[in-house]
Amino acid sequence: MADPSKIKFLVVDDFSTMRRIVRNLLKELGYVNADEAEDGAVGLQKLKGGGYDFVVTDWNMPNMDGLQLLKAVRADPALKHLPVLMITAEAKKENIIAAAQSGANGYIVKPFTAATLNEKLAKIFEKLEGTSA
Amino acid sequence: MAKPINFDESGDSQDLQSLFDSIAAGAGTAPPPEAAADSAADNSGDSADLQALFDSVMAQQAPASAPEQTSGGGEVFQRIGHLTRELHNSLRELGFDQMLGAAAKTIPDARERLSYIAQMTEQAASRALNAVDIAQPIQDRLKSDSELLGARWEKVFTNQLSVEEFKALAADTHGFLRRVPEQTQATSAQLTEIMMAQDFQDLTGQVIKKVVDMAQTMETQLLKLLVEVMPEDVRAETPSGLLNGPVINALGRSDVVTSQTQVDDLLESLGF
Repeated sequence: MADPSKIKFLVVDDFSTMRRIVRNLLKELGYVNADEAEDGAVGLQKLKGGGYDFVVTDWNMPNMDGLQLLKAVRADPALKHLPVLMITAEAKKENIIAAAQSGANGYIVKPFTAATLNEKLAKIFEKLEGTSA
Repeated sequence: MAKPINFDESGDSQDLQSLFDSIAAGAGTAPPPEAAADSAADNSGDSADLQALFDSVMAQQAPASAPEQTSGGGEVFQRIGHLTRELHNSLRELGFDQMLGAAAKTIPDARERLSYIAQMTEQAASRALNAVDIAQPIQDRLKSDSELLGARWEKVFTNQLSVEEFKALAADTHGFLRRVPEQTQATSAQLTEIMMAQDFQDLTGQVIKKVVDMAQTMETQLLKLLVEVMPEDVRAETPSGLLNGPVINALGRSDVVTSQTQVDDLLESLGF
């Protein structure tokens, strides 16, 4: 498993409180390298700038929502390999299916626990290592 | 329309005026033959301003830059203008315009209250998170210091330390024990701060109750109005899309999940 502190996260959510909470949780798990964006459009710009290894995003945001961001990431040859974990209050089955079909690597529904975040991150990293090994 | 409405004549509130202003700003239509008939309608009791507004809605030319406008689009705007006029008359005759006006007036108040709630909850969240940022490092240091000392004491019980080293360990341990109460006190203080930060709930709870009451009143009044105004066949169910926010009440719903386990099961069943 790669050194957690080397993995650069982008946390995308329109509520600063939630961004702070997610960053704190990531820090406790050893992922100390994290940047933030307040909507999908800002997030996409940052991603296009390069250097990011993982995206954690909300769904319901102004300017560009999480699903649109996910699709944009998957459509960009330079970004499509990035793991995208959705953390959102959207709980319709329709949402979950749409996210999965658009290429989300994980879906966490709010409110969530630190243990759930840890579990989903581990699962994603496991799968990534499986394919790159 | 900058001139103030004459309240005495038509009884139209400022809010209804703004509504018609926005229709006028967005509409673009060819002048219909009925414009002449409408301008003779001053005896209906409408103010001169409102009458002129209706005339201007009817009389505006369709701009060439509107991309999807065909001659059909122009006709639609005409008819909307007519309907709006008729609706306005009906509302006034039924007395609903006063009610809508009163309801609309409560909206800015509700906006203010909701802004207050957003502000209070954000402040509380900040306070709590700041307290965590202060307390967490204290806990981390306690943990690492005690682990280091613990490791050295292990060596004592396996006879791996010299007398000099043991004396040094005793001094370090003594120092550590003297520092602990101060650090736990500091953490307790932050825990108290987190507790106190929850005081917003009392204030926001009261304000939320007021907004709920107001929304309930508005809903009842608007529903009464809608039911009277809208024909049966126009009442359609619009799909709610993918931006719904958190599920407040899942009772009776089969289209939502209520736990992370259900999310995981759904994804697994689809092969994800």
